[in-house]
Amino acid sequence: MRYPRWLLSIALAMSQAVLLGCPSNPDPPQIPYAQSGEQYSDKMDLARLEHELPLKQADLMKITPDNLKGATQEQVDQIYARLTAGPIPDGVYDGQMFFPKGSSERARLAEIVGGGIKGFVVDVKAATLEHIGEFIWKGKVFYRNEGVLRNRIEDLLLLKPIVGPNIESIPKLDIDDKDSWLLFPAKLYCGQSLMDGRRESIIIDYAFTDDLPGYREMPDVLAGREGLEIRDEIRMVRPGFYLGRAYIKKVFALNFTLYNKAVAEKDTPAFVDSGTTTEDCWIGNQRLTAMANKPDHQQARLIEPQ
Amino acid sequence: MQRIRTILTFTIGLALFAGHVLLTEGSAVAANGSQTSSGFHYGTTLSDTERVGAEIWFNATAGNSRFFTYVYQQRLGVMIDWYRVLRGDARDERFYRWGLINDPDCCKPGDPNCPATSYDETYGFDYCPGDDELLKHVGKTGYRDPACDLKDVPIAKDDPHGPRDLRQSACDLEFGTSTGALGLRKFPNPKFDKVKWLQINGGHLDTWDGYTAKVMPRKDREAPAKSHLIDGSIEPPYRIGMSCGACHIAFDPVNPPKDPAHPKWENLSGTVGNQYGRFAQILGSGMSPNTIEYQIYGHSRPGAVDTSAIPNDQVNNAGTMNAIINLARRPVFEEDIIKWRKTNQCPAGGNERTCWCEPGKDGKCWERSRKKEFVHHILKGGEDSIGALEAIQRVYFNIGSCSEEGWVNHLTDLRQLDPTMRGFGQTPFDIGQVRRDCPQFRAIEDRLPEIAAFLFSGPPADLYKARGLKNNTALIQQLDKEYGKGAVEQGRAIFASKCASCHSSQGAPFENRDFLAVSKDMTGRNSRVDWLGNDKLIPVSEVSTNRSRSLHSNHMKGHVWEEYGSETLRAKPGDPQLKEPSDGGRGYYRNISLLSLWAYAPFMHNNAVGPEVCGGPLDEHYYSPYVDKDGEPLANAPACWVFDPSVEGRFKLYKASMGQLLNPSQRIPKVTRFNNDVTIRLLPKLGDEKLERFIDTAIRFPVGTPAARIGNFRHKELAEDLVMARTNFDKLKAKYVGRYGPEKGEQIARTIQDKGKELVAKPGSILEAGAELREAYSNSLAVIENDGHRFGEDLSDKEKDALTAFLATL
Repeated sequence: MRYPRWLLSIALAMSQAVLLGCPSNPDPPQIPYAQSGEQYSDKMDLARLEHELPLKQADLMKITPDNLKGATQEQVDQIYARLTAGPIPDGVYDGQMFFPKGSSERARLAEIVGGGIKGFVVDVKAATLEHIGEFIWKGKVFYRNEGVLRNRIEDLLLLKPIVGPNIESIPKLDIDDKDSWLLFPAKLYCGQSLMDGRRESIIIDYAFTDDLPGYREMPDVLAGREGLEIRDEIRMVRPGFYLGRAYIKKVFALNFTLYNKAVAEKDTPAFVDSGTTTEDCWIGNQRLTAMANKPDHQQARLIEPQ
Repeated sequence: MQRIRTILTFTIGLALFAGHVLLTEGSAVAANGSQTSSGFHYGTTLSDTERVGAEIWFNATAGNSRFFTYVYQQRLGVMIDWYRVLRGDARDERFYRWGLINDPDCCKPGDPNCPATSYDETYGFDYCPGDDELLKHVGKTGYRDPACDLKDVPIAKDDPHGPRDLRQSACDLEFGTSTGALGLRKFPNPKFDKVKWLQINGGHLDTWDGYTAKVMPRKDREAPAKSHLIDGSIEPPYRIGMSCGACHIAFDPVNPPKDPAHPKWENLSGTVGNQYGRFAQILGSGMSPNTIEYQIYGHSRPGAVDTSAIPNDQVNNAGTMNAIINLARRPVFEEDIIKWRKTNQCPAGGNERTCWCEPGKDGKCWERSRKKEFVHHILKGGEDSIGALEAIQRVYFNIGSCSEEGWVNHLTDLRQLDPTMRGFGQTPFDIGQVRRDCPQFRAIEDRLPEIAAFLFSGPPADLYKARGLKNNTALIQQLDKEYGKGAVEQGRAIFASKCASCHSSQGAPFENRDFLAVSKDMTGRNSRVDWLGNDKLIPVSEVSTNRSRSLHSNHMKGHVWEEYGSETLRAKPGDPQLKEPSDGGRGYYRNISLLSLWAYAPFMHNNAVGPEVCGGPLDEHYYSPYVDKDGEPLANAPACWVFDPSVEGRFKLYKASMGQLLNPSQRIPKVTRFNNDVTIRLLPKLGDEKLERFIDTAIRFPVGTPAARIGNFRHKELAEDLVMARTNFDKLKAKYVGRYGPEKGEQIARTIQDKGKELVAKPGSILEAGAELREAYSNSLAVIENDGHRFGEDLSDKEKDALTAFLATL
């Protein structure tokens, strides 16, 4: 039996991913969480959670891209819900993805893509896609003023069969002495969170990207409205550090973090001093009400019309 | 006894606002629109309190423009094409296309005397009062909402939060200006980017066509077309909001307009209920017809909408917008209620989840407590049963108010199949939390007595008045002439002996009751003594109409509207005659009022008994629901009746509907079916054959699929069970043995196991669920929409005519 070359490439990458991956789980961030049971109905409402257990600045400083990987999905959800969007980022961010803890990571995405029914053939196929993503995706580059984002791909080997010829036409950046190809453009705006409606998140939307400069049908179409309909949303943990959620066809797929060391080092001291940050997106009435009694210097600065 | 009960009804049920009406002084000035225009609302003279209530009912969106601009599209994934619905150049067709009622105060730009000379100025919409100011703020901040100018009446002297006025700012009522269709309001979008807008609309400001144009998929011709409506990076010039009036304002049956596209204020009522509104279609107007959302929810009859489609309880149950008339005589029932009640202080250090005072407003507190109270049964199955004021407040959540702060997090995400994850199922809306976090909630809550006062002012529509007759005696003469001498009196006797036990509020014996008696009520108005319905809940199997609506589950414990249902409601036993689950307060319909029946055909909670009605040649939404005995589309199906709100038109429709009501064996079955193929791909088709062979997974719903069969199916439970069939078959078996007994239970478990194996090889076979699985996973098995209520079928033709004649007088 003769297998297509692209399939062999994927198999090779998968094996690499498996070999390189699977780090042991760290301890989750040591911050307050509401107790919750296993079922959806046993979890505390997010408005009540934030009202009774708001995250203080000191709590936010305890969260890192690494220790988030040790959190259960419910803990990640509870953290995300207590964040605000913060400023829309600008520049190059390193990315890490992590899957819901508490179930088989590979099977989790497979369950979602496959409609939630274990045993689907797509279990295997989705797992393949999951590892492809984990292996090749390295982060995002934000073009804040243009309202655009592009994803950093460091290894085109896997995508080559679908990217096609003329890869030299793909824009790339030199990041830490490595080539980073910029694919999968997306639009950036403030919009609805698919998990927590109480305030906006920064949305990374792949639906209509074919009108963006540098759009390349293959592979960019894979993420768009005719493909997997990927939609990401992020909220800021602290300057230079964002927690994100990725959705495929409106189904939650995985978590990710974005980190820019330079921004973190530059802006964190001011954040620690003031306890506030610029908010580009609507922070919601719960926060606005809670802030109403705070002194002026602790008010978030709203710079976008609401 | 009944008289005492009625007096008690007045005393308790109206106390919260009746005193308010009588004790307050002051003048209300309509800041927006023409609700104060001569002749508005039946020509009735509204009190100041009622007029404030009317202004809120007609105009207040309570912040839902964010819901209808962002939440609905982005969070819920359903697109509304507001331009398609509201474009000014189609103003004259709006009623027939969408059942919307044109605002008499708006005009088409360019028309004589219209302040706007071109659609460039209004971004393609009608020009309406207040737009001179509003249009200056498109793309800018600083808009001062006209609601800020609402002149509140003084707070009632007996209000526990008084005597100081601690009400939330009226600005938070958020009126905006009219869109040109009554009840739909517009707001300037401060995020509008004119340059971007011109780019997407081909350089034109007078249209949204570029924004809303459907873009066909390039690789997958089965996939639905999409438009930039899904592109949240584009901000339209307006945010559109909805007031309660959108569904409740319509033509006064007594004084209908000569031309429905051009009504005057004297032709309109805010309480009659829009019998023509195509709200399901409006709310799906940006969806392609080959989407599952459109096919399940987009086919409601005119005047009916599934208000639980958004908080989805997986019961396909479109219901009519009720006429809110003669409320002062509506029966009340003593029920066990847990709810928040006004107070002026809370114990120091107490739990704010049981007693809470608004910060900065001393003495404005609420306490959550359990008490017996007399309450109305509001919804079709008696849900919303914790009080009239709370029921009014909940209308605002139905139309999107406080959605972000208060309820989208409590909804079911139909795509979330993991029961351990948030969004798998509903969780209860928390009234205390929303009061605290949503200023628009407080703005409405603080003015509920005024809204209630307005709603209680709605009178029945008497046919004798509509015909310009002096009194009912003259009407009876006309009817006797049409139906035969003595017909009305004979019909009265039939009604008393066969109908009144459900459709009178006066109590037995009925033989000598005056069903048309009028007397002064506590609001000071003359109203009909008999509500002409007892509003008691009866098991759905007794009335045997389409039961889906009665199986609505949103008010059950743990579900989204739990806090709006009484404990008494939830304690009612299920209907043992049903195969479907009916516990927790489900499985009932209330005995509805027959007041002004002549004006409200077709009949039943879903408008299904009677001719189908539609907007005629302009109506893109109508398709025949008639089926033959095999469930196939009926050849030569009856044509739909074109909307006719004239007195003659309503009466003709009434007679035809009565004919079907009383002759159930002659009804042609109606089933709402998919009128488009729908394909759902689990993974996309991208035009690469190799790739597609690798990942092709599609579920196809063919044309003709009964919408209820899909809309009522608990797919999440099936998914869970399929997993359980592989991981713990004994547990699965025990579940179904417990529900159906040893033999049938095990058979169902085996069927589920077999289905799981089949799905591995053929995902699309998920639709080929046999009767056994449908029974196990359906919230309602009913698909025929116009059956049941066979009462009276055994009457002679003459008796049926007599009953029809009498009911026309009610």
